[in-house]
Amino acid sequence: MIYVIDHKDSFTHNVVHQFSLFDNVVCDDFSKINNSKLNQASTIVFSPGPGSPKDYPLSSKIYKKFKGKKKIIGICLGFQQILFCEGASIIEQSKIYHGFQSEVLVNKSSKLFNTGRKFKVGRYHSLKLKEPFAAENFDITMRCVISGAAMSFENNIDKIYGFQFHPESFLTLNGKILIKKILSA
Amino acid sequence: MIRENYLNRINSTNKSFIIYKTIKGFDLFTDFSKKITLNNKNIIKFLNQKHKFKTKYKDTDLMIGFFGYELLNNLIGVKLPKQKSINFPKGIFYKPETKISLKEDLIYQLNSSQKIDKKFKINIDLKSYTKIFNKFKKKIRSGETYQIKICTKYKNRSSIDPLDFFCRLTKSNLAPEAFMIKDKNFSIISCSPENLITKNGFKISTKPIAGTLRKTKNFNKNKALSFFRNNIKETKEHNMIVDMERNDLSRICKPGSVKLNKEKTVEEYKDLYHYVSLITGKLKKNTKNIDIIKAMMPGGSVIGCPKISTLNLLNNQEKENRNIYTGSFGFIKFNGDMRFNIIIRSILNYKSISEISVASGVVIDSNAKHEFNENFIKAKALIDLYK
Repeated sequence: MIYVIDHKDSFTHNVVHQFSLFDNVVCDDFSKINNSKLNQASTIVFSPGPGSPKDYPLSSKIYKKFKGKKKIIGICLGFQQILFCEGASIIEQSKIYHGFQSEVLVNKSSKLFNTGRKFKVGRYHSLKLKEPFAAENFDITMRCVISGAAMSFENNIDKIYGFQFHPESFLTLNGKILIKKILSA
Repeated sequence: MIRENYLNRINSTNKSFIIYKTIKGFDLFTDFSKKITLNNKNIIKFLNQKHKFKTKYKDTDLMIGFFGYELLNNLIGVKLPKQKSINFPKGIFYKPETKISLKEDLIYQLNSSQKIDKKFKINIDLKSYTKIFNKFKKKIRSGETYQIKICTKYKNRSSIDPLDFFCRLTKSNLAPEAFMIKDKNFSIISCSPENLITKNGFKISTKPIAGTLRKTKNFNKNKALSFFRNNIKETKEHNMIVDMERNDLSRICKPGSVKLNKEKTVEEYKDLYHYVSLITGKLKKNTKNIDIIKAMMPGGSVIGCPKISTLNLLNNQEKENRNIYTGSFGFIKFNGDMRFNIIIRSILNYKSISEISVASGVVIDSNAKHEFNENFIKAKALIDLYK
């Protein structure tokens, strides 16, 4: 079972639908976590949402508790939430991407996707990862073709994955394949 | 077919009635046997009401009316702070006993006297609008909202004949979700173009509009389409609404059934072009109408995104109650089918005051003066009726 933690976003249920194609999904508001469901889950997903990771201390707590014990996936804010817990700074960017389709490029450090492959993806983010960033076992595996901003990471030791873009958006082509790959990793 | 002077006759009886656009013309509902004024408490009971199963329903077996903005906020747990209010009902539904089909060309001879003031007062001037605008832009930078609609209100004191206004409005601006309500102490006239919910059995659809273009000479549908496609700001705004509406349908639909049937197409109306998408889905078993309404309302395209945090930002900013504006009008049939629009481009007349609310979106690359004027353009079609 996949447990989706909703940060009151208007895209969370697109995420739920997309993951439902592969497994049972339970989705709860971040402030109303069902601990027994959370414990039963094999995978935890941190949803997109407004604001920044520091606004969601409860989600940070859950991440730290289950890191290494369950597969963890973060999307948009969720991506930032995980990196924030790993010591990253999440900062405002000069150009803002809301409802924007752009191309991302897979680099050498990806274990799941072929190096050099490009994906068209949908983006909805005001904030971004401040670089340089380094954390043990974490690799930035996709970047925006134009700006170079970090678009995905993999931690294949602890099975933690994240996308800054929205694989569930209609603007992301082949989003289903991206999710299938990380779920079967 | 109906005699030509039908509208004159019904208007002179002082009966309450409702007119709602259909594909071919209009339906007029009247002889109301029940009128329910909704509040935050009785709305739950109203929405959960079950009607006896029949193999054949009459075409008046329905409740028709509207949910105001405040009622819909409360239904999804978003609280409004204390606002200036004219104490207009939060929502009203009627049970009609008569339904009459009318042709698209409404014929009505005005014979009552109207007291019309041409001048309107706006509640927010450009200076205060710009201030709010810049505040919200900061909120976009910090990620609290991705798109937010600032509402401005035009008001004046007039005593009007709503049927005359509605007939003239349908001639100047025939919209697919147009409606009017005439009741004893208030009336609503609307040329809403936007369908929020069409539910037939397990099938449900929504048709968000984001992007409006005024018609000019030498412009056609194809040119309008390429205008929208090449306009990055319009495209981004529209994309956001499409993903949000997919999300809202996903809450109540079977996984995998939510489809984007028409992606970013142009619809042509008398004076303007709209940039429209159509999203459909198949409802999960045992989905109740109250679940559908909570998932879909208030309609996202007129609020902004993400819905909850944007509603909170808006509500803390707005000093005046929105009343009907960005609520929904439509009907719930006794067999469970529904049709609801989003109440925009509308006039509310209550206690001899007319109010017209309009809103336009703030995204990261919008411009305060442009959006302020955009609001006026949207209001103008309605203000122009006051002459």
